[in-house]
Amino acid sequence: MPISRKKAAKPAPAPAPAKKAVAPKSKKRTVQEAQRDESDDEFGQVAIDMNSDDEEDMDGDDESDDAEADEFPEDDAEEGQDMSAADIEEDEDEEDEDSEGSYMDGDSLVDSQEENDDDEELEEDDEEGSDFDDLINGGDIDPNFGHNLNEPLAPESDYNPIKREYPEIDPIYDSDSSTEENENTVGNIPMHWYDDYPHIGYDVDGKKIMRPATGDELDKFLSTMDDPDSWLSAHNYKEGQDIKLTSEELEIIRRLEGNRIPDADYNPYEDQVEFFTSKTEIMPLSAAPEPKRRFIPSKHEAKRIMKIVRAIRDGRIVPRKSGYVPPKPKYYNLWNDAEDKPREEHVMHITAPKMKLPTHDESYNPPAEYLPTEQEIQEWNELDKEDRPKNYLPQKYNALRNVPGYGQFIQERFERCLDLYLAPRVRKNRLNIDPESLIPKLPSPRDLQPFPTRMAIEYLGHEGRVRSISVDPSGLWLASGSEDKTVRVWEVATGRCMATYVVDELVTSVSWGPNKEVAVLAVACGYKVGLILPEKLFSPELTLHSEEYLKAGFANVSSTEANAKAQWKQPTPAEFDQGVRVWVHLQKPVKQVTWHRKGDYFATVAPDANNSAVLIHQLTKHQTQQPFKKTKGAVQRVMFHPSKPMFFVATQRYVRQYNLQRQELVKTMMTGVQWISSLDVHPAGDNLIIGSYDKRLCWFDLDLSSKPYKTLRYHAQAIRSVAYHKRYPLFASCADDGNVQIFHGMVYNDLLQNPLIVPVKILKNVHQRVQALGALCVEWHPTQPWLISSGADHTIKLFS
Amino acid sequence: MGKLHKKGKAGAAINYITRNQALKKLQVTLADFRRLCILKGIYPREPKNKKKANKGSTAPSTFYYAKDIQYLMHEPILGKFREYKTFAKKMAKVMGKGQYSTAKTLAENKPIYTLDHIIKERYPTFTDALRDLDDALCMIFLFATMPKTDKIKAETVENCQRLAAEFQHYVLHTRSLRKTFLSIKGIYYQAEIKGQTVTWLVPYQFSQDVPTDVDFRVMLTFLEFHQTLCGFVNYRLYSDVNLVYPPALDLKLDEGGAGMNALIIESTQSSANIAKSVKTPTTTSTPTSAVAASLSKEEKQRLQESEKRLQSLSKKIAHIQDSNEDESKETTEEDHTLDEFPTPLPNQDGTLAGAITFSEIQKASQHLTQFQSLFSNCVIFLSREVPRYSLEFVLRALGAQVGWDKVLGEGSPFDENDDKITHQISDRPVQGHRFLSRSYVQPQWAYDCINAGKLLTGETYAVGKTLPPHLSPFVEAKEGDYVPDQNQFEGETEDLEIESGDEDEDDEEEEEEDEEDADEEEEEDAEHKDLHQIELEAEAKGVAFTEFEAKESKKAKKGKITAAPTSAPATRGKKRTAAEAEEAEAKELAKIMMTNKQQKLYTKIQYGKDKKAAEVQKLTEKKQQLAKANKKAKK
Repeated sequence: MPISRKKAAKPAPAPAPAKKAVAPKSKKRTVQEAQRDESDDEFGQVAIDMNSDDEEDMDGDDESDDAEADEFPEDDAEEGQDMSAADIEEDEDEEDEDSEGSYMDGDSLVDSQEENDDDEELEEDDEEGSDFDDLINGGDIDPNFGHNLNEPLAPESDYNPIKREYPEIDPIYDSDSSTEENENTVGNIPMHWYDDYPHIGYDVDGKKIMRPATGDELDKFLSTMDDPDSWLSAHNYKEGQDIKLTSEELEIIRRLEGNRIPDADYNPYEDQVEFFTSKTEIMPLSAAPEPKRRFIPSKHEAKRIMKIVRAIRDGRIVPRKSGYVPPKPKYYNLWNDAEDKPREEHVMHITAPKMKLPTHDESYNPPAEYLPTEQEIQEWNELDKEDRPKNYLPQKYNALRNVPGYGQFIQERFERCLDLYLAPRVRKNRLNIDPESLIPKLPSPRDLQPFPTRMAIEYLGHEGRVRSISVDPSGLWLASGSEDKTVRVWEVATGRCMATYVVDELVTSVSWGPNKEVAVLAVACGYKVGLILPEKLFSPELTLHSEEYLKAGFANVSSTEANAKAQWKQPTPAEFDQGVRVWVHLQKPVKQVTWHRKGDYFATVAPDANNSAVLIHQLTKHQTQQPFKKTKGAVQRVMFHPSKPMFFVATQRYVRQYNLQRQELVKTMMTGVQWISSLDVHPAGDNLIIGSYDKRLCWFDLDLSSKPYKTLRYHAQAIRSVAYHKRYPLFASCADDGNVQIFHGMVYNDLLQNPLIVPVKILKNVHQRVQALGALCVEWHPTQPWLISSGADHTIKLFS
Repeated sequence: MGKLHKKGKAGAAINYITRNQALKKLQVTLADFRRLCILKGIYPREPKNKKKANKGSTAPSTFYYAKDIQYLMHEPILGKFREYKTFAKKMAKVMGKGQYSTAKTLAENKPIYTLDHIIKERYPTFTDALRDLDDALCMIFLFATMPKTDKIKAETVENCQRLAAEFQHYVLHTRSLRKTFLSIKGIYYQAEIKGQTVTWLVPYQFSQDVPTDVDFRVMLTFLEFHQTLCGFVNYRLYSDVNLVYPPALDLKLDEGGAGMNALIIESTQSSANIAKSVKTPTTTSTPTSAVAASLSKEEKQRLQESEKRLQSLSKKIAHIQDSNEDESKETTEEDHTLDEFPTPLPNQDGTLAGAITFSEIQKASQHLTQFQSLFSNCVIFLSREVPRYSLEFVLRALGAQVGWDKVLGEGSPFDENDDKITHQISDRPVQGHRFLSRSYVQPQWAYDCINAGKLLTGETYAVGKTLPPHLSPFVEAKEGDYVPDQNQFEGETEDLEIESGDEDEDDEEEEEEDEEDADEEEEEDAEHKDLHQIELEAEAKGVAFTEFEAKESKKAKKGKITAAPTSAPATRGKKRTAAEAEEAEAKELAKIMMTNKQQKLYTKIQYGKDKKAAEVQKLTEKKQQLAKANKKAKK
């Protein structure tokens, strides 16, 4: 019962905490309180009745002194009451101690004699009980019967039937604690849970127990200075205040520190009580005689022994030899050559590969060239262990005596072991072929001559990219259209510029009319197509004939106006003087102009005009037709079949072949390329090639399949133009890498024989790359094996 | 319509089994499974289609061949593993209770397994076993030098030492050593045993520091298998040449550090004779039991017994130690008789096989016998600073009589002052006292002699001289490979010693010239149309490739000198460039017509070739630079 003890030692500390809770911060006040505490201590010496005036006064003082006290008026009051109750108990205890210190432990309350008001009811009950007892037993019986038989009766003289004296309680640990007041009922919990609350728990009635006031560090210090016994006190977290330890408690602590039994009275070396004595009894407990079995050998044991003996005899148990030696491995001839059959070859059986044999650089004294340079050593060190091509660095030692032990020996052997049992084994077929055998055997280019091999003539004069070139059917004149807004006509053989036509737009395409009777040059520039008659180049008769041929259409005026897609117009006089005879105005910019083989029709491509992207114009009647009502995809190129009424349209990915007479789609070629750039049809009409911006060249055999017969990829950049030679089995391609590539492309009359394609010449860097553009257009001479190419570097070159 | 096939019932799905499935099937722990795999030689596989093998899952896993695992289920060792597990439990229990006598009984009845059947199963024929001996020997030679630790038992090391010595003795006895190589990792030896080349690596004689990052359980399981394999192989090898196996151990010599000399090699007939003549119980008992008994008893007893044995065998020992030569002669005689049968040579092509005549075979065999008695006329003394075990083995394997300094161990048949010594191998900067009758050489001499197949002059290897580079004999130079210092052995045989005595410096210069010439000549196809043929012939004769090339270049050089120096090569060069350019262009054109697949393959192969060529280029450049630097330094 520590609390009551504490109270006894420190008689009246209770009121002080109440003050502290009220005004914890004012220093003055704490000092006063300290004084009050002292006064309380003084009070403690005096027995105080419950509801004593003193107590009431104190509370009253509190209220008057402190405005803050209003915050918890109830609690204050309660606490005041509680405290007072506590005081009373203390007083009782004191009384007890004073009067009956000699009572033994374990006394019950029954015999305690108390005069307190608190216990009056109980006493009355007891009294009633005793009366009842008296009634039953008729007064003869011991009046204390039923209370405590062990208890010695109070002396007869003390006995007062009205007010019974009970023996006093000795407040030791085991004694009942019903007299305790202000018990915090929170239990054994971490008290810091209550850190943020003003209270520290609840009493038995469920009322809050307020946190006793604690001063700041300075207060504490001062109090330790003031109080000489402060070093004897300990903090009680449950109550939130310091308690002074009693001398008994201090004694316990001291004993514990000294590793002694805390209770000083306990004797660990008490005399032993001999329950079973060593002395022989004179009279034994049992008088039975010793049984016979004690004197004869055990049958059971004999049985067991015989069992072992039999086992040993039978050899089931081999008795241990004197010196046990673990058996050594015995070797014998495991293999018998006559009977042994080699393991059959099985796909799933893969023998472990042997270790690699050492090379020269592993030598302790390798040739000097094998030694790594410092840079190589550094590189080797920086590499991860797994990435190193060899797990050692070559080193040179002058003599064998200088060679150190190899530090990684065990690790390497271990790795080998791991490889042997952890590495998956796979059979790998090592291709042991000569790479040259992969290169196809082709006929020598020499046997496939003639083909152009070197540059012969350069045509200089353009000041912009030469987008398009065309050679006239006679093979004498070369027309070129450039982005410098001019069309030039050159003499093929000499490279002289014979005529220059200035137009008002970039020239995208030029094309000579294929009819030898009519000299006409179609020029696509901007939104219009011009038909130019180069006057001085041709004979007067031809010029005259051409003039008439070109004029003829203007007679057919009505048809011109009927079609809004294309308007045929007369050139201005100035333009007429230059040579322009007809303008055909279209709705969208024209990219390509191409002639029908007879020279009367020509087709234009204006990719931006959706439905009317492809238009076919008739020169003699000045008529324009729109062959497709719907176009499938952006049209890139168109081409007339060289002999049949067929028409090829290349969209971005497909090439479609139409029959113009029957007005139907004949075939769709799946090119497999991303974006077609150019198209050309073989002069025999059964094959065509396309070039694409994704560097591919596809050869289609129209009779064979809708898929390419051959797809070649050899240019480093986008292919710009492809062209077949009209007479020779040659074709060429040019690309943005500036190269021109010439192939021998033989088509056989035999349908069973596939076309033979042999690359014969690479003309490298024909045109300089200007702004990512190289060679833009290639064109073959109609009769000679000459190739003409134009490029972004403003030049035109002829190769022979 | 064909039969419907259910998925996962055939092919990869049932051919392969993942590791975890295998563990479940076998009901063993992973550790036991690994041990089983090591002992049984079971290895993971890489199925072509992992998804199919793993029932549609692409999770990474290790696959085993299902039949391997199926066979493992009936493996007797698996049962032994389980028995051992129970034993371990019992033991732990008994020890916990402190019943030590029971524990002793238990320990004596500890389950023991043997690997005999596994070896027979893995290597059905003796040739198979020999083919796989490389790893086993490497392991055993490594563990023979290992220190005893808590993991590595002293008995294991002892056994490895013994097995290694036994094998070396066999190689020595049959003179089957072919090549040796001093590398930075250790010393490689290659022997030819029954037509199989066996290569093993022996670490230099230093104490191995045991690394911590190595799992010795794995190593020891391997070693366990390799020990058994080696034991059986040794038994077979010994019995094939009529020697007693296991050879007895001369304990006194063994303790004196005699190494492999501590083994007493006896032929089966002579031991039978001894058994007859001496009728003491110790000798009549089989050598195995005697050794076993001697090992178990205390040292004194052991020594006593071995001394007894020595007394009885003294005659025999004397006979063996004195008459090394006789034995070698005997063996060579045996070889002669054997060589008349057309045995297949390992290095020959199938095309050439038809062209082999009997005389060629005879020549080859003669060459072999010559090689085997390479050092037969040499009496070689080893100074105290050279690695004795290696040199003794190498020299004696080719017929030399070898003695050594006392510091190097007991058992030397003669000492340094012996008159018959022809060579002394020493490895010190300066040789102090010299006997005039012998030549002092560095250890590399012995190894280079073996690789060259002839006795080289001692002068290049004289003590204190800078050694010529030591090249790997295992490298077979292919076309386009870098061949370092081709003329290393030119004019250095002892026969030519007198001629080439003074011209050492000139030789070096000539050598450089030779190389340049050789390079040029390789290109002259017209002149050397039959070069390939000659090469093949030379190979049939058994001439080493490097040696052959050296000869060829020399011949060519002579031819050159007679012909007046013309400017022909230069003009030829120019022409070639034009032609080459044309060819290159043709190639480039032809490449256009390759299919995509072919193109990829071509680039792949070409990449490898280019890489190799770059390496060769690098080496040649380095060499040229070094030569330049040398010249400058000389000036």
